[in-house]
Amino acid sequence: MTPNEILALATLGSFFALLLIGVPVALTLAVTGFFFGYLGFGMTLFNLLPARVFGVVSNYTLIAIPLFVFMGVMLEKSRIAEELMDVIGHLAGGVRGGMGVGIILVGVLMGATTGIVGATVVTLGLLTLPALLRRGYDKGLACGAICASGTLGQIIPPSLVLILLSDILGESVGTLFAAAVIPGLMLSAIYCLYIFALGVLSPGQVPAIPADERAAMSGKDLLGKAIRVGLPPVALVVAVLGSIIGGVAAPTEAASMGALGSILVVAFARRLTWEVLRETVHATTRTTAAMIFILVCSQVFALAFRGLQGEALVHDLFAFLPGGVPAEVIFMLAIIFLLGFFIEWIEISYIVVPMFMPILVRGDVDLVWAATLIAVVMQTSFLTPPFGWALFFLRGVAPPEVGTMDIYRGVIPFIGMQMLAVAIIFVWPDLALWLPRAIGW
Amino acid sequence: GMVAAPAVVRAQDKFAWKMTNAYGPGAPMTTVGPGSPTRFAELVGSMSGGRLTFQHFAAGELIPAFEGFDAVVAGTVEANAANSYFWSGRSFAAQYFTNVPFGMSFPGHMAWLYHGGGMELWDEVYQPFGVVAFPFNNTGTQMTGWFRKEVTSVEDFKGLKMRIPGLSGKVYAALGVDVRLLPGPEIFPALERGVIDAAEFVGPYSDRRLGLQKAAKNYYTTGWHEPNNAGELLINKANWDSLPDDLKTMVRTAAMTCLVESYTWCESVNGAALVELVEKEGVIARPLPPEVIARLREATADTLATEAGKDPLVRKVHDHYMAFKAKHDRWSEIARSV
Amino acid sequence: MTAAGVIRGCEALIDGVGRAVSWVSLGLVLVMAGNVLLRYGFSTGSVAMQELEWHLMSPIALLGMSYAIQHEGHVRVDVLYGRMSPGAKRVIDVISFLLVAIVAALLVKISIPYVMLAHRLNEGSPNPGGLPWRFLLKSFIPLGFALLFIQSVAAMARVIALPDTLPASATAAASARISSQGTPA
Ligand code: NA
Ligand code: NA
Repeated sequence: MTPNEILALATLGSFFALLLIGVPVALTLAVTGFFFGYLGFGMTLFNLLPARVFGVVSNYTLIAIPLFVFMGVMLEKSRIAEELMDVIGHLAGGVRGGMGVGIILVGVLMGATTGIVGATVVTLGLLTLPALLRRGYDKGLACGAICASGTLGQIIPPSLVLILLSDILGESVGTLFAAAVIPGLMLSAIYCLYIFALGVLSPGQVPAIPADERAAMSGKDLLGKAIRVGLPPVALVVAVLGSIIGGVAAPTEAASMGALGSILVVAFARRLTWEVLRETVHATTRTTAAMIFILVCSQVFALAFRGLQGEALVHDLFAFLPGGVPAEVIFMLAIIFLLGFFIEWIEISYIVVPMFMPILVRGDVDLVWAATLIAVVMQTSFLTPPFGWALFFLRGVAPPEVGTMDIYRGVIPFIGMQMLAVAIIFVWPDLALWLPRAIGW
Repeated sequence: GMVAAPAVVRAQDKFAWKMTNAYGPGAPMTTVGPGSPTRFAELVGSMSGGRLTFQHFAAGELIPAFEGFDAVVAGTVEANAANSYFWSGRSFAAQYFTNVPFGMSFPGHMAWLYHGGGMELWDEVYQPFGVVAFPFNNTGTQMTGWFRKEVTSVEDFKGLKMRIPGLSGKVYAALGVDVRLLPGPEIFPALERGVIDAAEFVGPYSDRRLGLQKAAKNYYTTGWHEPNNAGELLINKANWDSLPDDLKTMVRTAAMTCLVESYTWCESVNGAALVELVEKEGVIARPLPPEVIARLREATADTLATEAGKDPLVRKVHDHYMAFKAKHDRWSEIARSV
Repeated sequence: MTAAGVIRGCEALIDGVGRAVSWVSLGLVLVMAGNVLLRYGFSTGSVAMQELEWHLMSPIALLGMSYAIQHEGHVRVDVLYGRMSPGAKRVIDVISFLLVAIVAALLVKISIPYVMLAHRLNEGSPNPGGLPWRFLLKSFIPLGFALLFIQSVAAMARVIALPDTLPASATAAASARISSQGTPA
């Protein structure tokens, strides 16, 4: 091992240690990056840091973050969304897990409008977590469901992960989008089945709304309430999705339709006050800036890992590479999964995928299928403790009684379901390959 | 003493440089494959027996796509691969070293750069920044782009929503086109859904790779706005000056090798891709109507005249380019008439 | 002025800048939605207005950083931290704030030459009709980290000089955290 590779390993190790004793996430990234980078190559390379920071804050696709956060906060501050989960619970009647499944469905809809994980997790966290906790849902399960459904947007198109993969693998964006639709829906279905199964096996975790309370609300009242609180979010999803499908807006632009729509919806409900608007812009700015702050600090870490030739470290793992195409694909997915514990998905895509490209091409592996598998594994890395973006984004907006441990505990079953989905797609490649062929994308 | 001396000299003679790139990992020709920066790094490494090595970083790996110029100026990286027209926000003169709408195609443009005084002007434009540049890879002629509807007259451009960045966007705007600046990955979904009516990208091979034929069927072949597209190898001047002459020769030679490799490769794959598109994927490939081309030509002349009027250095480069082009046009007509 | 006065002054500065800059997010919504609707309805739009979309992200993200941290606290893993004694937490907090201040100062130092270079190169948009003066946009980087430096030093001073108190601006969530954990999270 070269001295740089040892430093790269030390960077990962210290990162873990500092994170665990409670040093802020952003700081952990910046400090380990600066410290070990400096030991390895001095200060010169860090002069590139401002360029990377500028790259983050001038990244066109990331504009969707403040726009979707604005939409979510507007609905929250205007108290329109407060009862959304309750209504879903009432509609589910005596079926346990109804509200949990509601979250998954909202996650699917939001996932179809954006490819940004942070925006969906934050919006879902703001809109649904307080209501679920009030209704006695298990903290861990509620958090796990929110994080997992928040990451569904990475599989269900449009998706940033698929866009980057299409660029690296040289496949058309449209083909990858089409390929991911069925696996994305399948994954959502697995989540839903799990929550319904919990309703039978462990009813205490996912209680239904008590029968007397349900009885107290007449069908007519429920219908009225469902329309009143259900219509605004549905209208916004229609505004965002509709503007993409109807050819009004490109995927990132569509987020602005949701944000503008949220102002109109709240105005229609006669709840648009100066106070609501002011609190919305304040909270939007704070939430956005907090997310970007972690991203900015991760630039220090990524630059150091690059400068210390962390990719050489990954390359050395090739020594263990077994023979045969299926084994090689599994090995690649395993490396992506493992790196997901430490590194951001963009870096992983840049480090691992080009490295395996020649192997995939030589083995005549269908790149569309490979991309779908990579995307699902990459989506999993958003959920893996300790460094999963979804976990931190939820931690940032969760009420104080929710600890990091609740979130970590909660995502574990969902990580298992992700692995199951990967296995299913691995065995039946047509799940990914059929739709693009059928619609000619 | 005497015995150790050669080893010391050799140690000082070793150069490990970093090269960033405006194009992402996996991009054919602009990042990997024939005539690419990674190929260049390989060539120089083997020619010099490892005395000069380039560690290549695709866009986003070390810095974002368009940050390479500043990084080379600051000396944080020694070299960058891109197109000079990305830097036209620093000096508009940089446009001319990549291409000029209705300007010269590959042979004329390269003749101007290598033998007509173009490279000397390039040095003059970049001198204040402390960088030197060399022609690098080249796509050859690009395409006008993909249109959802047929273009029959200039009237069709009024209010047409087109994804078209840079100078040619300005020319289209003069004809009433609504210029859109979508990033590369959003071109396909936007064109497919009709958010935009038309989009320009590169040429048959790259466009097909992006899948644009699945979003629009009218493929205009004229390529008026990019008759060729010259890559740029940018090197920090102080670093360049520190190289011994033999290594300088290797850099120049490897860059020229990439020029020939990339151009010939593009000529070969574009032909194959165009045939596929037309014969198997239902694409209608045709040139723009002559009336439309004439109008675009006028608007280009006006736009260039306006830009050249703003700055004496741009004026100088513009006049020099056009004077060379006037002579070369006479010659290339003879070649084309065969 | 007393130490407490200086701390409160710094915090008020961060809060004021953050509140003022917040309105940019409304501007972003209106500019982007306006661009989409003008294009769809009237097939018109300007290159400058399209570029303004991503130009507005920079002040929200960079000038809002210190404001966000002052109100919501840093995001951290509280598996061990949550079980520590108040004294141990204070030690981690003081060290953390000190390190954030050092990181912020470093970023100010290395981004100033970057901004000066953009100024010297007279960097503007490569798109004709695009926005000029990119150095102004880039100058949010040192400015944002200078604010973060002030915020971190003030927060560190507060943990040392005024333990178990919160800035006047801290949100209800942060107050709840202090009552349950004994220190701002
Ligand atoms: Na999505
Ligand atoms: Na082009």
